[in-house]
Amino acid sequence: MILIIKFAIILIFSISLNAREIGETEITTDNGIEVFQNEKFYLLKQNVKIESDNFTLSADDVKIKFEDSLYDITELDAKGNVDFYSKEFKISGNGNFLNFEVKNEKIKVEGEGSELITNDVEMFSDGFIEVTNLNGDFLLEGKNSKLYNQNIIIIAETIIGNFSEINNTKEITFLEIYDEKISYVKNNDAEMYAKKINFDNDTATIELIDNVTIIRNQERISGDYGTLDTRNNSYKINSNNKSKVKVIIQNNE
Amino acid sequence: MIILLGVIIIFVFLIIIFYKQINLNIIVVDENLNGLSNADIYEPKFAINNESKKIYITATEGNFINKNEVLLKDNVRFKSNDFSIETEKVIFNRTDQTAKSKTKSKFMSKNATIASDGFNIHDKGNKIIFYGKSYIILK
Repeated sequence: MILIIKFAIILIFSISLNAREIGETEITTDNGIEVFQNEKFYLLKQNVKIESDNFTLSADDVKIKFEDSLYDITELDAKGNVDFYSKEFKISGNGNFLNFEVKNEKIKVEGEGSELITNDVEMFSDGFIEVTNLNGDFLLEGKNSKLYNQNIIIIAETIIGNFSEINNTKEITFLEIYDEKISYVKNNDAEMYAKKINFDNDTATIELIDNVTIIRNQERISGDYGTLDTRNNSYKINSNNKSKVKVIIQNNE
Repeated sequence: MIILLGVIIIFVFLIIIFYKQINLNIIVVDENLNGLSNADIYEPKFAINNESKKIYITATEGNFINKNEVLLKDNVRFKSNDFSIETEKVIFNRTDQTAKSKTKSKFMSKNATIASDGFNIHDKGNKIIFYGKSYIILK
């Protein structure tokens, strides 16, 4: 009889220890945990899985910095085959390396084939993708950096910008993109090529610098510098002394 | 049909209990063979002195392995202001102020629990390494 009670206690204890309840975060590792009390961080080693009500993450290894106790997480570094999903911020992604600063709500995904997907925007890069959720700043750096949303496609080696919530959708309010070879932007009206392309929502102007081409309807215009007014869809292209503005109007009839 | 199902469940349950009993007997025999069942010290108490905190170590009994090392057994508990660790067997080095355990361990601190297959304490309690498949619950 005592044995039965002992067995039941062991069984109940082991079940209760290994079951996550609502509001709790469960972390499992295959090769242990190293806790550094003075330095205030712990290392989760090999095949790490983190699961809470609003967040899941898997990675080869994870380093977690804490403020007060282990639960009080300030920063997370995940390394190797990182895959995550945040229900709260409606964001998912994967890459070779992930850094997440809890206080600033800043997330950085790094490595070849990095992805960061939200409800409104999809971002890809072989370098890194960095998004600060609090202020909407984003930065993509490296080869094959791309950003897609409903209204725009951007391809360039460096994409710096800001999202703001306008009419319940995330819209780009500021943009600076650069590619040594050529940057590409496509919006609802036109396709644009230039080494450097800037956009400011306050002035509603897209500025194109160096090796500029704008394609709209059947028009293809090339030059050295161009501006496009997004309010009235007018644009202007200049050239420096060496080259001329070139206009090609295609007739599809 | 229900009676038959009931009989099967009871039978399975009895097999599990019987199996557990055998395992317990093996452990008892093993301990006797090791010759460590006679404790050198009962309810030993030690402490790891850290610059910022003190970690108290208690157990039901202990045996001296050598001049420095003590095998602590049964209800071994490490306790500081920040955390506690419970396990069944620990080798504590009094000179180095280190501890190592290969038995199932449970670490508890404010809103956090760690279960592991063992642990090492180094650097006067600053560094704790939990071994094997480990499991954390954060509240």
